[in-house]
Parts: sequence; C-alpha cells; structure tokens
Amino acid sequence: MTVSALKAKDYKSGIKPVWCPGCGHFSVLAAATKALAYLGLPKEQVAVISGIGCSSRLPAYIDSYGFHGVHGRALPVAAGLKAARPDLTVIVAGGDGDGFSIGGNHFLHACRRNMDMTYIVMDNKVYGMTKGQASPTTDPEWSASKMTPHGTGVRRFLPAAIALAAGASFIARGFAGDPSGLTKLLVEAIEHPGFAFLEVLSPCQTFRPEQKDWKNQVHPMGAHPSGDAVEAARAIQADDGMALGVLYADRLPVWQPAYEPRDSLEAIEKEFRV
Amino acid sequence: MNAVSPAARQNLSVAITGSGGSGAVTTGLILLKAAASTGFYGLMTRSAGPQIRGGESAAMLRFGPERVDCMDDRFDLLLGIDWLNVDRFVDEIPLGPDSLVVGNAAAGDVPEILAAGGARVRSFDFNALAAGVKGGRANMVALGILGSACGLPPAAMEAGVRSVLAEKGDAVVTSSLTCVMAGYDQDMVSVTVAPAPREERGNRWDISGNEACGLGALRGGIRFVAAYPITPASEMLEWMAPRLELLGGSLLQAEDELASVNMIIGASFGGVPSLTATSGPGLSLMVEGMGLAVASETPAVVVDVMRGGPSTGIPTKSEQSDLNLALYGFHGDAPHLVLAPVSIADGAFTTQWAVYLAEHLQTIAIVLSDQALGQSRSVTDEPREPANLLVRRTEHSPVDDYHRYAISDDGISAMTAPGTPGGMYTADGLEHNEKGTPSSMALDHELQMAKRLRKIESFDFGSDWAEIRGEGPLCIVTWGSVSGAVFEAVDRLAATGVDVRVLALRLLAPLRRDALGTALEGVGQLWVVEQNHSGQLYHYLQGAGVLPAGSRSVARPGPLPLRPGEVVDVILDDAGTGEDK
Amino acid sequence: MTEMTTQPITSLAEFLAHALELEVESAERYRELADSMEVHNNPDVAELFRKLAGYGDSHAQEVKDRAADVLLPTIPPWDFKWSCPEGPESPCMEDAHYMMTKCQALELALHNEVRGRDFYTQVAAASPDDEVSRVAAEMAAEEDTHVQMLRKWFKREACDIQEVQEDLDPPNIPE
Repeated sequence: MTVSALKAKDYKSGIKPVWCPGCGHFSVLAAATKALAYLGLPKEQVAVISGIGCSSRLPAYIDSYGFHGVHGRALPVAAGLKAARPDLTVIVAGGDGDGFSIGGNHFLHACRRNMDMTYIVMDNKVYGMTKGQASPTTDPEWSASKMTPHGTGVRRFLPAAIALAAGASFIARGFAGDPSGLTKLLVEAIEHPGFAFLEVLSPCQTFRPEQKDWKNQVHPMGAHPSGDAVEAARAIQADDGMALGVLYADRLPVWQPAYEPRDSLEAIEKEFRV
Repeated sequence: MNAVSPAARQNLSVAITGSGGSGAVTTGLILLKAAASTGFYGLMTRSAGPQIRGGESAAMLRFGPERVDCMDDRFDLLLGIDWLNVDRFVDEIPLGPDSLVVGNAAAGDVPEILAAGGARVRSFDFNALAAGVKGGRANMVALGILGSACGLPPAAMEAGVRSVLAEKGDAVVTSSLTCVMAGYDQDMVSVTVAPAPREERGNRWDISGNEACGLGALRGGIRFVAAYPITPASEMLEWMAPRLELLGGSLLQAEDELASVNMIIGASFGGVPSLTATSGPGLSLMVEGMGLAVASETPAVVVDVMRGGPSTGIPTKSEQSDLNLALYGFHGDAPHLVLAPVSIADGAFTTQWAVYLAEHLQTIAIVLSDQALGQSRSVTDEPREPANLLVRRTEHSPVDDYHRYAISDDGISAMTAPGTPGGMYTADGLEHNEKGTPSSMALDHELQMAKRLRKIESFDFGSDWAEIRGEGPLCIVTWGSVSGAVFEAVDRLAATGVDVRVLALRLLAPLRRDALGTALEGVGQLWVVEQNHSGQLYHYLQGAGVLPAGSRSVARPGPLPLRPGEVVDVILDDAGTGEDK
Repeated sequence: MTEMTTQPITSLAEFLAHALELEVESAERYRELADSMEVHNNPDVAELFRKLAGYGDSHAQEVKDRAADVLLPTIPPWDFKWSCPEGPESPCMEDAHYMMTKCQALELALHNEVRGRDFYTQVAAASPDDEVSRVAAEMAAEEDTHVQMLRKWFKREACDIQEVQEDLDPPNIPE
C-alpha cells in the first residue's frame, strides 16, 4: 500500500452540510478536499474565508481554520489575514451575490492587489439563501423572482471580463457537474502565485431547477489559456459564459509586505524627545 | 468676571495669520520649537481656509513653564503677515484690551474687526526688511519680531529655524536666520512679563495627538494597520506606515472603510494585533464590521479622530459628537470598550491601554480622539505607559475537541492562531455554541451573550478609568480634549477659593458604576461639560442613573474650542445663584 | 448512459488504483447522500444510502486486500481513466432530492452499480495485460452480484417509477 497521507475525506470537518440534496456546492466541497489532499497541505496551514450565503457555508465543512464573516466582506478579511500571515494558504469562498453585488468593490481591488490567495465563486445566478432573488449574474429576462417580476432588465455582470480588467492574474471557470475538471482547476488556482479567481457554475436545484440543463451547455474552452491580456479580453468578451478551463493566467506582481524589522521602539521615540 | 490663576498669567498666547503661501504655519512651528528649546511647555493648533494651497491660515500657540493642555481665553499677541480673509479666524483668535496686534505695514491697515476690542496696534514693514536679504521672506522677519516680543532667546529661535527648515537646504536656512535676526533688531516692547522657563527641564516631548495615538498603538504591539485616508486621521496613518515597517509590521491602504475594518479582523484572526484609524463618517461605515469582531471575539482597535458632524459636517474642526455612535451604534447587544484620551500625551497611554484591553478581552476597543488633539502639536511630558501588560490568551497546545468559545468564569476563552495543529475552528458572526458551530438555540445565545458581557464587566480595569482631581461638593465630569480647559478652569477657581472636583473619564464603556459612585460621594452640584450639541455624555450618565439630582449639562458643539473662562463663568453663575435650574 | 474509458489500463497496479478510487469515491458519495438525507429528514432513504456506503467500504477493503503486496501509483484525481464526470460507481449529487423515495434511491444506486460493472467489463476486454484482464473480469463478476442484489431489493420494495411528491411548504430563509 502507498504511504498514508491525508486523504480527501480527512479534510472534512464532519459537520453535515445543510445544502439541499442536488446542490452543486457538494461538488465544490469534494473538489476542495481532493485538491488539499493532492497538495498535501497541513490542515492547520489552510484558512477558508467566506461571507454570507449558501456558498459561504463552506468553511464549516472543511477541517481547517475558517472565518465566516459578513455579507460581501470575505475578500478584505482574507487580505488582512494573508498580509499578516503570508505563510498560510488562504482560500476565499462565496456566491455570486456576496462576491459581485455587495462585494463588488472588494472584488475589483482584490484582483488589482493580486495577493496570493484563491477566490472561488459558486455562481448559480440567484440569491439562494434569501429565497431566490436575481443576482448580478442573472439574465435580465429571468422573471421568476417576486422582487423583480419583470426580470431585472439590467445586463449581466461579467465576472471574467471584470476580473481581467481589474488586473486578476488567473481567471478560470469550472462546473460542479465536472468534478475532476473542477479539482484540477482548483489545484492550479491554489498553486498560482497571485490572486486566482475561479468561477464555478454550481446549479441551484431549489430556485433554478432549469440549471440541470447546464451539463448540456458547458463546453471546454478549447484554446490554451492566454497569458496575453488583450487576447484573453477578446476571448472572454466572445465567451458564452459556459466555457470551462483557464481563461487567463500570467505572472504579475504580487502584493505582500516584506517583514524585515530593522529598528526598535526606542529609536522611534527618540524623534519626539526635546 | 474671570478669576485668573498665577500659572495662567505665565503663559503666553500668540497667533500668526497669513495667506497665499506666506508661511504662517511654518512660523508657528518654528516658534513652538524655539519655546521648547527655551525650556517651555507649549501647544499649537492651526486653522485654515478651504483651499488646498495658498489659502488663509492661522497658527495659534500657547507656551510657558507649566504644562499647557488648552488655549487661553484671549490671545496676548496676534501677528498678521497679511490680513487677507482674516475674518475667518476672528472667533478663534479672541483679543482683548491687553492684546497686541502686530501688522505688516506693507499689507495695509489692521482690520477694524481686530482692533475693535481695544487691542494695541504696532506695524512693521516685514516686506521691506525681508527685501534687504537675498531670498529673504516676510514670515521670517515676523518670526524674529515674535521672538523678541515673547522674550525667546535668539539662540533658541535659531535652533528652531534649523530644525524645521533643514530639509530646504543651507541657502534657505541662512537667509531665514538673517531675516529672523533683522526681526529681533526691531524695537519691540515685550508683550508682557515674559515667562521664565523652569530650572528643571524634565523629559519633555514634542508630539502631536495623532502621533501620540500612533505611538501608543506601536507600544501596545500593533503590527498591522489597514486604513482609508480621512481628515483628520490621515496623519496618524502616515506617521505609522513607515514605522510599522521598521518594526516588522505593515500598513495596507484599503479601498474603503468597509475593507479596513474587515482587514484588521482578518489579520487579528491570524494572530497579529491590528488597528485602524478614521473619523466619524468612516466609523459609521465600520459599525457592521466592529459588530462582527465582537460576535466572533476577535480583538481589534478602532481610533476615531472625531470632527464636526453629522454626516460630512466640519471635517477640519473638532467636536465630541461621536460618543453616541461609539456607545450605541452596534445592532444587537454587543458589549465592547470605548476609551478617550484626556490630553495629547494621554493619546499614547490611552491607545496603548486600548490595545492591551482589546487583545486581552478579545473585543473591539474604540478610542475617541478628536481633531483638537489629533492635529495639535504639544510640547509636553513624556507619555506614560500602562503599569500592567495585558495580552491575548492564546492556546498553543489545544486538546482534542478544542472549544474556541468555551464558557469560563472570567468569560475569556483561549484563542488558537492559524498554524496551530489541532486548533482549527471557524470564527463566526452567527451566534454559535462553545465549539463555534452556528446555533440558534436559546441556551447557546444566552450563554454566549452572558460570556461576552461578563468578560468585559467583570474585568478589573484598575484606577486608570478616569483622571480625578480635587474634592468637595461641586463637581465637573468631562472627557477628551475638553478636559484641558476644565482642569485649567478649576485651577483658576481654586485660586479664588472655589473648590471643584473633576472627573475626566478615560474609560467610557463599560461604565464603572461602583468606582463612579465612590468618586462622586458627597457631590451636591454636578456639571457634565462636553463639546457636542445634544449633551451625549450627560444623557449617557443620566440614563445609567449615576448622576446626582440636579446635575446640569454644559454642552456646546464645535467648531470653536471650549475655553477655561467659559467653564469658570458657568460654574460661578450656577454655584453663585444656588438655585436648581 | 456515460461513455466507457477511452484509454486502456496496462498494469495491475494501475488497475487496482482505479478500482480502489472507484470504491472509495462511491462510498464517500453515498455517505454524503446519507448525511444529506438525514439532515433533510428523510430517514428511510438515509438508511438505504448508509447501507450502500457500507458496501462501498467493504468493496474498498477487498480491493485493498488484493493490493496488499502491490505498490499503487499515486494518480491525480483528474487523471483517472474514466470518462464519466465522476467515478463510474459514484452517484451524481444532482439526481438527489430531499423528498426522494427509497425506490428512486435504489434506482440511482442500480444505475451506478451497472456503470461500475460495465467499467470492469470494459477494462477486462480492452487491457493488453493478461493479469489485468483476469482480475478485472473477476471484479466485474463481483459487481454483477451487487447489481443482482440491488435488483432483488428493488423488487422487494415493489417499486414502480414515481414522481417526487410536492412539498407544500414554501422555502425557508435560514440566514
């Protein structure tokens, strides 16, 4: 038998997920545990940060350090943690509402700042936790929510395009119905030195049952991931939102303070002495 | 009629105004340094028009052999390099019949509004004197005139010039010194009997309120700051940024205050003491985040350098009107700490203490500083440090089935830091059980609420919760920057035989009821003095039931500072009539 | 019905690694389903899935026993040579529903066991390695007994195809 190391199931906390059976997020949890096992990361070195929503329940289900923060603010919590503790592997999780609506501003600046962390957005194009309202990635015509009975009438937020424009250095899209592919993308995202944005199409069985058809709509990207932002921009703008794979990856400057103490408080206090 | 204490007469109050890049503020800074060099204590505040550059500006100083923690009722000397738009400062530079106004002959007559109070007037042609020196400037001539008027030795003035202007290069320093000496040569009567410096110089520091809070933070162990610029807190952040780095920490400029507060929570969760600084509008944005820190029991310090409110308010002026927000702003019941320094030097002590308390009690500490403290420079005593070190209770070797939020007698449960094997937990804003698993059960909510309250209420804060002076049946309760004026007012009253007790509160939440009860024993008439419109501290204390019957609120908002004379007048009026109003 | 594997498996070690992953994954997925059914108050189906998870565990143990003296390669999760989205015997989460009946659960399990059996059959037929073919055929035969067992269970429940009943309550907002 091979040398025993942590297996995927060892990364599970044992708390039973309350996601509806049929939820795509189970796949993300499985992929995360497999990715962590594959990378052999010690559990105590991993921190999973989330906001509010069904997707944001993820940290409790993984046996690592976690922070379940407030709506839309997972990325700043993660940024503060990573700035103070560059030794940790920081994974941020949330949904399309948490990430692109209330969290939109932080998303822009996290892409820009390019700190070494992985941001998984489980996109089901709906607000599941609060009973099915439209989200920024919902199509304008979807009229099944009482809050927007005529549909939102507002064009979709394009996560990949915005991530690219905001300066993200790794942009990928996975699908909950393709667990192997998702695991591979997640490993690449974690290994990527910089801010890795992984959008996961994750169907919501309860509020968007029609998303069961996604498995017939998704398709591989085809081309190699581009390291050229202009080329990637063209491809992303032409993208139907269902292409799976790495859309863009490049090595860009990573923001991380260098900690080199070189003076003392006494020296600092001297400047005030009369 | 204002009684005057011996100490006050030994202080000199000087104001300098000018516009269009005339360098009034630089003049003030050099004067302060010269006063420090001479062996004095001092205080300098400033005021300006809304222009980014070239606007009208004023530097206000007060210095003397005793510590100075507020501005006087009147200025002894006002010097104008020019008089453009000086109306703006009329309220802030009160003059009287004993005052001297010095004008620049080249800038026209002294405005009527300044001479109206009966002040004496002198004029010199600063421009002509400066023109005689290559690269000479009018404000340096003015500086020399001021030095001569105030009895500051030329050597001290030279030290000041060199200190402040060194980075402009030798040529500037040389021409400036020449102008200064030209000013000294003018026939300038001494403004008053110039104060004599003390023999014993002591350990004096030249520091601003924002710097003091920054230093207190570093002394307390803060090594991560995330912040968004805002007036009047930005200087604290600018001072901290390079020095954090020197000590092995870092500052992250965030995209907004929502990010700032959440970033410091993340860093603190990671085990690093963290802080942010802001003002009223930013504090409003941070309230949700602070609630998350309280609920998840993550230590963090938020410094609020208060300014005129509400909303955008008066960004460049001081006020004490964020107390309500700091005390009551959280949704839900979220026990936390609110502290306020009573002076510029105390900014260092109080911030350091706040860091200790936040870390040890695993909660939010809000430090209410204000623009008057933050943006004023002071030559003051070396700031003291809290007597006892307090630290985060950290679990390094968690046992099987570690419970992050375990119930304990003192309400504090040990925190693991990420990286500690076996100590994994998910911190949560959701109510939770002892293990940290989200829970909506009545018992868990009750236990955790009681825990979070108990850890704060049952802690022994010691004697630093207030600065208490004096005794007797008359008592003033106050807080923050207003304390300086109150202490001086009380000194003046004592000199005329009217004894007044003062409680300057440093710890505003939790309220130390027992200690307050003891401190207020025997009080017959009490005033709560503060700088806001609605009497926020007064109502807080009334609501807590700690004030004796008949207590009065003495509250007025910014932008003008409270002066000792104002406080003296209120006490004498009220105490004199002996009536309950 | 999903496609079968496209690349032949060429060594016993590689084959056993696949078989082990298949059984372990299957057991894990059934366990997840069982937990989920329990959380959503469907105890009958929860029990059924837990039984299936148990079978998966014992099958996995059998494979481990077979592999006792064999050094198994470490295969990254996405490099397994099957073309189904997940392992051939793993149930798809998306087919679950909190009000599913025992019959629907059995149907799901049957579908997966058939896929698993067919995987082994296909490997046995396609492998150039005799030992692999032999072992794969043995395991296919074992899987077939599982398939038959499930068919009998299905009959015992007197199943016919049913729609999921409607939940009359509206959804809840927990946060």
